[in-house]
Amino acid sequence: MSEDYEIPENLYYTKEHEWARVEDDVVVMGITDYAQTQLHEVVYVELPEVGSEVEQMEAIGTVESVKAVSEIYTPVSGRIIEVNRTLEDRPELVNVDPYGEGWIAKIQPTNLKEELKSLMTAAEYADYLRTLEE
Amino acid sequence: MQLRRTQLYEFHKKHAKLTAFSGFEMPLWYKGIIEEHMAVRNSVGIFDISHMGRVIIEGEDAEKFLNYLTSNDVSRLKTLQAQYTTILNEHGGIVDDTIICRLEEDRFLQVPNAANREKDVDWFNRHSGGFQVSIRDVSDEVAMLAVQGPKAVDVLNQVSNVDVSGVRRFSGVWLEIAGARVLATRTGYTGEDGFELYIWDASLSEPKPAYDVWNSLLEAGRRFGIEPCGLGARDTLRLEAGMCLYGNDIDDDTTPLEANLGFVVKLDKGEFIGREALLRQKEEGVKRLRVGIKLLERGIPRPHHEVWSDDKKIGVVTSGTMSPLLRCGIAMAYVDSSYAEYGRKVYVQIRKRRVLGEIVKFPFYDTTKYGYRRA
Repeated sequence: MSEDYEIPENLYYTKEHEWARVEDDVVVMGITDYAQTQLHEVVYVELPEVGSEVEQMEAIGTVESVKAVSEIYTPVSGRIIEVNRTLEDRPELVNVDPYGEGWIAKIQPTNLKEELKSLMTAAEYADYLRTLEE
Repeated sequence: MQLRRTQLYEFHKKHAKLTAFSGFEMPLWYKGIIEEHMAVRNSVGIFDISHMGRVIIEGEDAEKFLNYLTSNDVSRLKTLQAQYTTILNEHGGIVDDTIICRLEEDRFLQVPNAANREKDVDWFNRHSGGFQVSIRDVSDEVAMLAVQGPKAVDVLNQVSNVDVSGVRRFSGVWLEIAGARVLATRTGYTGEDGFELYIWDASLSEPKPAYDVWNSLLEAGRRFGIEPCGLGARDTLRLEAGMCLYGNDIDDDTTPLEANLGFVVKLDKGEFIGREALLRQKEEGVKRLRVGIKLLERGIPRPHHEVWSDDKKIGVVTSGTMSPLLRCGIAMAYVDSSYAEYGRKVYVQIRKRRVLGEIVKFPFYDTTKYGYRRA
């Protein structure tokens, strides 16, 4: 049930189960509680390259469990300005704290206002998860 | 499509994350792949492997028939001895890889892979003309479990009416667990010591004996930290051990010589299907070989990733995972046989990155510390 997953109020969400948090003029992103639950036991995160220019919903890396590979899509366009290097040694942080210590990248957005409109709010994402379970 | 279920489905439904595998609804993991994997390497785990097939081949010509249909030498088997072997087509391609156990002089048990249950029986029937032999699929009447790990013998001895300590590898014994009649063979798909248990009167409609054996093993294994293990751990364990998965690492178009399974090919035993093709291939030399690749840099190889040496593509990955024991990426791959030497550095193309690896011997782990040969 979608009630079983944590969906923080103040974030934006993609259909591919990434979250975005706007912090001043920077966007922090990661994968959602639902995504990490589906993957289970994340053992490897392929991080994007710092400095690379990315387009909204472009694949910028991967999250892997023992058995499965899942692409990471960027919720917004812009330039990658920082990645969470801690995940190289502690990929399990994506499971333990997907919205906190398990963050994946920080992006300097180039078209934020426009692109936020195409992302889901917490309530919309909760509805979306419900449709996936039907 | 309706997925098939095993005798122990109700337990899996209650305790496991389920997955579809070869048409069966099976446990992927209960607690987690890594924890289950490590339980087997360090102590003991149990697996429901009833999705595999059980086929009885009996009759006056049973030995002759199986020797014609498989590449290993069935005549070497004494009663209650088993062997790993391959069933080949005329081109030497692998129809299935399998275990054959001699139950009596003229009675054998053959264990097809889950995906090949019907395929093997059809293949046998198609080639049984002129042989005094009967072929019967008893998979739905006989359940199959595996108890694997360095403590497997200790656990079994607590619940069995027969001490299994003296049973040799690839030999079997009839015994009783929780009132159920069980054939236990010292075989497995993990690289560890352990047994595979055939629970003889546990049908899909009357699965109670399967539950009785399963539950008594869980109970007896508690003090060893036994874990029920799903197909996830089964796959990572067999990969670390260097064992093939049919459909990934071997299929109708790969020969046992290419798959580095030469030890199951007895070219001198007499005529068998595929022999001519293998003789020819042996004479000409194989062009590709199955090898193990251990990654020296971060990354997880997956099937279809390319293998490169400098600027030349030399092969392709057929199975890959993060090794829970070694904590690095490991792969099985077929490479150009002129590159197949231990210690050679190669690259695996993982999406946009080239990751450095090394061709290594199977199994991937240190056999003095892990696996059935450990001290």
